[in-house]
Amino acid sequence: MFSKILIANRGEVALRVIRTCRELGIATVAVHSQADAQSLHVRFADEDVCIGPASSAQSYLDPVRIIAAAEVTGAEAIHPGYGFLAENARFAEICNECNIVFIGPTAHMIRMMGDKAVAKRTMANAGVPVVPGSDGPVGSLDEALRIAREVGFPVMLKAVAGGGGKGIRIVNTPEALSRAYDIARAEAGSAFGDGALYVEKFVDHARHVEIQLLGDQQGAIVHLGERDCSVQRRRQKLIEESPSPIVTPELRERMAQAALCGARSIGYCNAGTVEFLVGQDRSFYFMEMNTRVQVEHPVTEMVTGTDIVKEQIRIAAGLPISFRQEDIILQGHAIECRINAEDPENDFRPGPGKIIEWHVPGGIGVRLDTHAYAHYTVPPYYDSMLAKLIVHASTRDEAIVRMRRALEEFFVEGVPTTIPFHLRVMNDPVFRQGEFDTSYVERLMAEPIAT
Amino acid sequence: MTIEEIRQLIALVQETAIAELEICRGDDRIRIVRQHGAQAPVVMTSAPMMPSAVPAPVAPEKPARSDLYEITAPMVGTFYRAPAPDAPPYVNAGDHIEKDQVICIIEAMKLMNEIPAGRAGTVVEIAVENAQPVEFGQVLVRIKPD
Repeated sequence: MFSKILIANRGEVALRVIRTCRELGIATVAVHSQADAQSLHVRFADEDVCIGPASSAQSYLDPVRIIAAAEVTGAEAIHPGYGFLAENARFAEICNECNIVFIGPTAHMIRMMGDKAVAKRTMANAGVPVVPGSDGPVGSLDEALRIAREVGFPVMLKAVAGGGGKGIRIVNTPEALSRAYDIARAEAGSAFGDGALYVEKFVDHARHVEIQLLGDQQGAIVHLGERDCSVQRRRQKLIEESPSPIVTPELRERMAQAALCGARSIGYCNAGTVEFLVGQDRSFYFMEMNTRVQVEHPVTEMVTGTDIVKEQIRIAAGLPISFRQEDIILQGHAIECRINAEDPENDFRPGPGKIIEWHVPGGIGVRLDTHAYAHYTVPPYYDSMLAKLIVHASTRDEAIVRMRRALEEFFVEGVPTTIPFHLRVMNDPVFRQGEFDTSYVERLMAEPIAT
Repeated sequence: MTIEEIRQLIALVQETAIAELEICRGDDRIRIVRQHGAQAPVVMTSAPMMPSAVPAPVAPEKPARSDLYEITAPMVGTFYRAPAPDAPPYVNAGDHIEKDQVICIIEAMKLMNEIPAGRAGTVVEIAVENAQPVEFGQVLVRIKPD
């Protein structure tokens, strides 16, 4: 087992990893930009190293600075969290070259799943259902049009190097596709460094359901059930839950087996999540695979009683996963609300600034993962996430009641938050009934607020 | 802050009409509040959680002299005063240096990076020890600028 781990991240996930390291008796090194000098993850870590100015490019995104910090502190392994360098295959390689263990899958697996077209082809070869579309990137507008006509409009133009919901355009007609093609290529080129696009049928009224996997170096791969992440705004997840209200035990088994099949075909190792689109007829299609721990991992932890970060560290240290598939039973229901420093009444505009009042919820079945505290200044340089509020209860109805209770206790002044938005969802009969898809938030926001 | 100093501060609050006293010195912060009645004053110190640590022994913070220019580390790594273990140091206190003159090496990932002064002046103080790990922004050398 490692004696010292460096966390190459910030905010709540850095704290998350540090907490599990403390429980495992592993010393922790926090890295931070100058803007994050007062951050909680810095205070909780055993050691901290300032690695650069505020800009992410010159701090959290710079492999050289991260590795240098690992060297001067003698860290044996690096946990990349999510975002930043977590899915950067080159960074994983550099760690190997410097004899530092990268806590995650291999660079090869990251690279393969990072190319969305290659990932899709890999899964299709393993017998996993995929969304109909182009087999790999399209070479020209004519090819894109031909494929779009084959699978049927509407279609999505997606960046091969994209992911996390970015670099996607929906087009309804051949004319719209012709107009969008060059712009989409230019956008993808500038955002991801690769303008290649692939075409996919747009599955309307779909839900986003993902399967959590863990693979160890002994070759065992297990699944920890599903998460439903259909409550999204502009493809950014806002609320996640486990289990999914529409997944029956039979569907769960089929989806899990498909995910495991795909993962086994590449010998997947460490934590990963296979994302599926589920149509109204409950058919499911592979969307993408995330080769990292995800933001919403706590809902899985609550219903399965596991510590996913602990498993990641154990696996990276060469130990087997600490449980078997038959030990995993989904108990009760968990919901997570992402509390961002954004104003839901003003197009979710981010509002960095100083938190003046901060009173957090507590009590039975409530978990709060946050790096914020009273008088903390939310910096403008990074994402706007303040906290993840997670509840666990015996049933979905009770979980919704509990989340509503917890949100009502959560008092923040100084920065805007999405707490009012989440309360609105928890009070919405459509959400409570469980039948909603990825267009839910758009429709809810278009309705006048009920008084 | 020593125990003796804290004791003296508590006594100060008890003996005078001070209701609340807060003192900050570097990373230390102490706040003493007089309770109503005969109880002892309440003492609160900063950071109820784990104290923040630094990667290696760092010289205690000296009050900044506004007439000095601080050359800070532009990167993370290990600080070396000389190009090789047996070579003379790049600079010593009292030396006059030019803007582009190399003042030290910071080593990271097996690469030796020569660090230029960035400003001409006279070296007043070398703020870190040879072979000490340094972080971004850490003060390396203080000079009196020309």
